[in-house]
Amino acid sequence: MPEHILSAFDRDLEAIRARVMRMGGLVEEALLNAARALKARDEALAAEVRRGDRAIDALELEINESCARLLALRQPIASDLRTALGVMKIAGNLERVGDYAKNMAKRANVLAQMRPIEGAPGSIKRMAREVHAMLSDALEAFIREDAALAEDVRQRDLEVDQMYNALFREFLTFMMEDPRSITACMHLHFIAKNIERAGDHVTAIAEQVIYVVTGELPGESRPKGNRDVYKVIPEGEL
Amino acid sequence: MNNCSQGTKVTARNVNVWYGDNHAIKDVSVDISDRMVTAFIGPSGCGKSTFLRCLNRMNDTIPTCRVEGELCLDGEDIHDARVDPVELRARVGMVFQKPNPFPKSIYENVAYGPRIHGLARSRAELDEIVEKSLRRAALWDEVKDRLQAPGTGLSGGQQQRLCIARAVATGPEVLLMDEPASALDPIATAQIEELIDELGRSIAVVIVTHSMQQAARVSQRTAFFHLGNLVEYGETDQIFTNPADSRTEAYITGRIG
Repeated sequence: MPEHILSAFDRDLEAIRARVMRMGGLVEEALLNAARALKARDEALAAEVRRGDRAIDALELEINESCARLLALRQPIASDLRTALGVMKIAGNLERVGDYAKNMAKRANVLAQMRPIEGAPGSIKRMAREVHAMLSDALEAFIREDAALAEDVRQRDLEVDQMYNALFREFLTFMMEDPRSITACMHLHFIAKNIERAGDHVTAIAEQVIYVVTGELPGESRPKGNRDVYKVIPEGEL
Repeated sequence: MNNCSQGTKVTARNVNVWYGDNHAIKDVSVDISDRMVTAFIGPSGCGKSTFLRCLNRMNDTIPTCRVEGELCLDGEDIHDARVDPVELRARVGMVFQKPNPFPKSIYENVAYGPRIHGLARSRAELDEIVEKSLRRAALWDEVKDRLQAPGTGLSGGQQQRLCIARAVATGPEVLLMDEPASALDPIATAQIEELIDELGRSIAVVIVTHSMQQAARVSQRTAFFHLGNLVEYGETDQIFTNPADSRTEAYITGRIG
């Protein structure tokens, strides 16, 4: 896209994009650190993630304010308008992912006091790493205005959903085998669910990137995983 | 035989305009809908005003200007020998960038058109046309007590509304407006825009504007002209949210194309 004749307009847009990337970077870090803290039972790292959420929330506010200013003062249209609208939604989605990371960190603290559940933190960390990679690519797609990369991110959410479904079944078996693991498994399940939801928000970010670049929101052609989780298990089989 | 289509008010097919050797309009085809506001946008010198002036044969008055192609009003060729250009301009009215009231009273400015076209049979009828036109132009309340005062004594915004009243007095089917609000303050601009919106419900309005926001605010269709070509023509909301052509995008977003 060529530059605006009014260079201050470009500086405003650039500043907004830079804030989105900074916010994205903080969220990426929070997600990864929360998973690390869980696996390493590192309470100090978990506390750091929880504290870091404030900066993420502040950036969302800043982004929304600068978008409101851009709308009021520059009256953006076409791709500029889509950038302002898309960025506000992206910031909202990033903020949610940040909240999930914070919640994971909280639960990591609790879990650090309990008997470890064999293998689970490793699986959760792999899942978090996958969502982290999707988020990195979504941010990359945003800054490079690359709709194809954003579409690729969108398709990858299926893997995260499948990982969640597998973990869900695993936790169910753990809890059935040993009721003493129920508290820990419930926390782990919430963490897995949080990461799965974070994946949905990253998918929403990718969709906003596609909207900003092409002017059209992608339709419902995203692959959906199997719905095992929602199946009612007859009592006899429990 | 002509291939002008029905259902639209004005149809242009392969219109070319030259000023001497300068090819100002290049093969423009466009359908202008009735009861709708159509905006022509584009950088200075892109041909949008020239094209606008084709629609009521205003270019006839420029000796070096040559117009080719087909232009139809209600399916009737406006270049047909039987069409009287003066008659045509009563049906296709025009408002210019600079308010240009006649050096006459407010009343006479509005009454002039209906009188020469014989639209009123009595003084009472003429009074009625003048009042109705001034009301349509949202000027009546401001001038009703001084109809005999000179039109040139009004403020810029009032003068422009007077010119609109004058243009609508002959009951035009199409109103062409060339930058009608570019010399006005925001309040007068808003009044003119309200007027355009109102007029666009009953007749075809075509407005040339340099203000992107104005085109976006008042029009339902937008045509983007560039270097004499019609680059893109479509629904205004589509043009301003997701233009199809990169030249349109560059222009409306204020980029160096």
